[in-house]
Amino acid sequence: MLQIEQNNLLIKKTFTEKVFPKDESSSKSLDRIVTDFDFTTYHLSTLNDNKDLILFSIYLKFWNDLVKYGVESYLTEKYEKFDGPVTILPKSDVEMNYNYSLVVDLSQLQGADEETKQNLIEELSFLKRHCMAAPFEKAFARYDELAQTYANSNTYSEEIQAELQKEDILTINYRGSDESIYIKPSFDRVTVIFSTLFKDETDKIFGKVFLQEFVDARKRSVQTAPQVLYSHSEPPLDIQKAVRNTGDDNKGYVTFVLFPRHLVKGDRRDNCISHIQFFRNYFHYHIKCSKAYMHSRMRFRVKEFLKILNRAKPENVDEEGKSIETKKTASGRRFDIGRV
Amino acid sequence: MASMGTPAVVMDNGTGLTKLGFAGNDSPSFVFPTAIATSSASGKATKSTTSKNSFLSSKRGLEDLDFYIGDEALSASAGPNYNLSYPVKHGQIENWDHMERLWEQSIFKYLRCEPEDHYFLLTEPPLNPPENRENTAEIMFESFNCAGLYIAVQAVLALAASWTSSKVQDRSLTGTVIDSGDGVTHVIPVAEGYVIGTAIKNIPLAGRDITSFIQSLLRDRGEPDTSLQTAEEIKQQFCYVCPDIVKEFSKFDNYPEEKFAQYIVEYADRNKRNVVDVGYERFLAPEIFFNPEIFSSDYLTPLPTVVDQVIQASPIDVRKKLYKNIVLSGGSTMFKDFGRRLQRDLKSLVNERISLSEQLSGVKSTGVEVQVISHKRQRNAVWFGGSLLAQTSEFKSYCYTKQDYDEYGPSIVRNFSLFSVP
Amino acid sequence: MSQSLKPYLTAVRSSLTAAICLEDFSSQVIERHNRPEIEVDNSHNPELILNPMVIARNENEKILIEPSINSVRISIKIKQADEIEQILVHKFTRFLTSRAENFFILRRVPIKGYDISFLVTNIHTEQMLKDKLVDFIIEFMEDVDKEISEMKLFLNARARVIAEAYLTPFD
Repeated sequence: MLQIEQNNLLIKKTFTEKVFPKDESSSKSLDRIVTDFDFTTYHLSTLNDNKDLILFSIYLKFWNDLVKYGVESYLTEKYEKFDGPVTILPKSDVEMNYNYSLVVDLSQLQGADEETKQNLIEELSFLKRHCMAAPFEKAFARYDELAQTYANSNTYSEEIQAELQKEDILTINYRGSDESIYIKPSFDRVTVIFSTLFKDETDKIFGKVFLQEFVDARKRSVQTAPQVLYSHSEPPLDIQKAVRNTGDDNKGYVTFVLFPRHLVKGDRRDNCISHIQFFRNYFHYHIKCSKAYMHSRMRFRVKEFLKILNRAKPENVDEEGKSIETKKTASGRRFDIGRV
Repeated sequence: MASMGTPAVVMDNGTGLTKLGFAGNDSPSFVFPTAIATSSASGKATKSTTSKNSFLSSKRGLEDLDFYIGDEALSASAGPNYNLSYPVKHGQIENWDHMERLWEQSIFKYLRCEPEDHYFLLTEPPLNPPENRENTAEIMFESFNCAGLYIAVQAVLALAASWTSSKVQDRSLTGTVIDSGDGVTHVIPVAEGYVIGTAIKNIPLAGRDITSFIQSLLRDRGEPDTSLQTAEEIKQQFCYVCPDIVKEFSKFDNYPEEKFAQYIVEYADRNKRNVVDVGYERFLAPEIFFNPEIFSSDYLTPLPTVVDQVIQASPIDVRKKLYKNIVLSGGSTMFKDFGRRLQRDLKSLVNERISLSEQLSGVKSTGVEVQVISHKRQRNAVWFGGSLLAQTSEFKSYCYTKQDYDEYGPSIVRNFSLFSVP
Repeated sequence: MSQSLKPYLTAVRSSLTAAICLEDFSSQVIERHNRPEIEVDNSHNPELILNPMVIARNENEKILIEPSINSVRISIKIKQADEIEQILVHKFTRFLTSRAENFFILRRVPIKGYDISFLVTNIHTEQMLKDKLVDFIIEFMEDVDKEISEMKLFLNARARVIAEAYLTPFD
């Protein structure tokens, strides 16, 4: 598995079982917690009085940040088209301890064709992606505006540069206060900066190696990719005023500069949003995979060393670690070498 | 729930099936075979140990990410490019390389959680060597940086799962666990959360044997479909435990229309179907636990006798409690009336002994209460017990954290403090 | 094999062969004790300890051999050119020492200033072939360096693939 999937497999599975019931067992009541990286928790439950109604809630640690950037209207836009089977609960009715709730009415889906059902399941499993996407959408929209405004002006003039400097930075503290995403739109680019924290010394060093390659990859082979910059412990200038506690040695800042070619409206923009928001998960997943691989290498090496060491034992251990019978002389007597 | 932070992850890796899920849920989110299909390019190299360099060089690429687990592994291994293997043998992890990757995908692909944010509850079989625990901790903490770890003994979790039954009044961790999965049946006495290792007994009869017994009965009768799958379906849908075989046979003969059943086999090809008659195997199949001689010629001790022996081999001061709290766990204990029959047979064994000793000593015994507890969560009892314990607010205080591990090293996981009863 | 490695290993081999010349020796201080004298504080009877020796290829790669009458302690400093190699060596030696019981002669804690230590006692030389023990140490030194550099290469290669795989879908 190279890429981390963007949708949630378990949510997809649960809804598929519900929407396409196979036997009696799938019409049972449901009460299930599901997670999805970065302290995201979903809760799927059937309502007490009616087992066809599934309450689907999400809790995000950074919901308040998202609300600032219009997540609610963005989600409404995404799920409105399923009006009928899906009801978006108003703020006052959202399940306790959760941030956003939907109710899926299975009975209304019965008449729907296969494709609609599949579509709905698909979109529901993308709920977290959509939540995260809101601030990106907003920043990209701002970029559209700026690009319009400055289309014909001399963007090198100092006033405009100063104006652009003042542009608001969108901040999402996606993993509590320690790790954040900063998005800064401009007229010819959008800068996305991730700050990430390494909990482990090994992770930190592996992370550095990885990020160096991210920086170099563009120069070497993937010329069309966004530009990547990496700085360790000190935040990049762009966001210095937005960052609080600086100078943490375990912190790294990764900057992606998205160019207009990545921001073309439509599929490409959507794809870009889904892809970039999973950066941290992808990055840390691969650090862990490398460590797992290192482990398997070391296990192999330990086995090899043991084989070599066991050769020193006169019980005659062969390559596989199994003992060979002690050699005998022609008359059938054994050498008892080295036995004390 | 959300206010309490992230839910703990409960993973139960059995010989046959892996159960994954989050604490607080009533059933595992994923249940799939503990199987991993690795790309055969790297698999071949490991086999030929002579070429150790090729092993290392062939791994430069991404072969170590190219694998599938669970059901996907089964289907991938049907093709030519993947080798299937089962990293857990007899309940214990044999292949750590594969297990590490199985966990890797369980966490990132199936459960989708960042292990740094979650506490983990893993299970282990009774009498697991402490080195295995250390290896597990090494993987969980060093590779995955998981926030905290607790490794629980499966039998203890099965006991905890039985607390949901209405028959259980005091939530004690003393009892006899009968754990019957696909491969082996274990009878494990547990006293106050500690497994009495010397008294454990295994029975080489379990789900797989029942299925193959049904299959052989079907073959003997010449049914139109005698595949293993059909036998498995019949086992799950029709089988039950009867109080007395002879009477049951006559019931079948007297009221055939009530007792005999039919199972309709459906195929991928919609037009084709077969009808299989289901007869005596309905009660004969689970009967192999109580009268093993009808199935096997080398294993002849009935389950109730084994349970009795196990309890008799345990320290005398816990025996009464062990008789009183016999807990079932695993899919092969799901037959209707399994618990009732076991209780009855065991009771008669115990009563016989009591009356004998009363005769010999002339002292009246106070009697021994025998109680077998069946409950709804039997199938995934171990996982459910884990979920139950891991959702308590004290759970985290029993875990070892990454900081503890970094400070003391892997040997820290040799001892876990037991759950006190909430 | 680079130019200076061979003489280095040859020197280590002959020094080890000379140093592993051990005999059973009962403690002179405590009755009925028999301990590896090199591990004991021997300020009372310095005659049991021989002169330690350091063989160094360069300042990052050296081996310390401390012989005594019934035991030899061998400590190796593995080459660590940068941060990555440092962490890899650290991980690897920790992995090895946590499996020390399989390795008979491996010491669980290295001597200060070195990455990994072995302790060979007269019991070991009685049960195992001395030449093969020396072979093991030499092969260990060779293989560790190889392994560390291969792991480093892997890490770089992996990082490259990962980076490219992530950046490509943007377009």
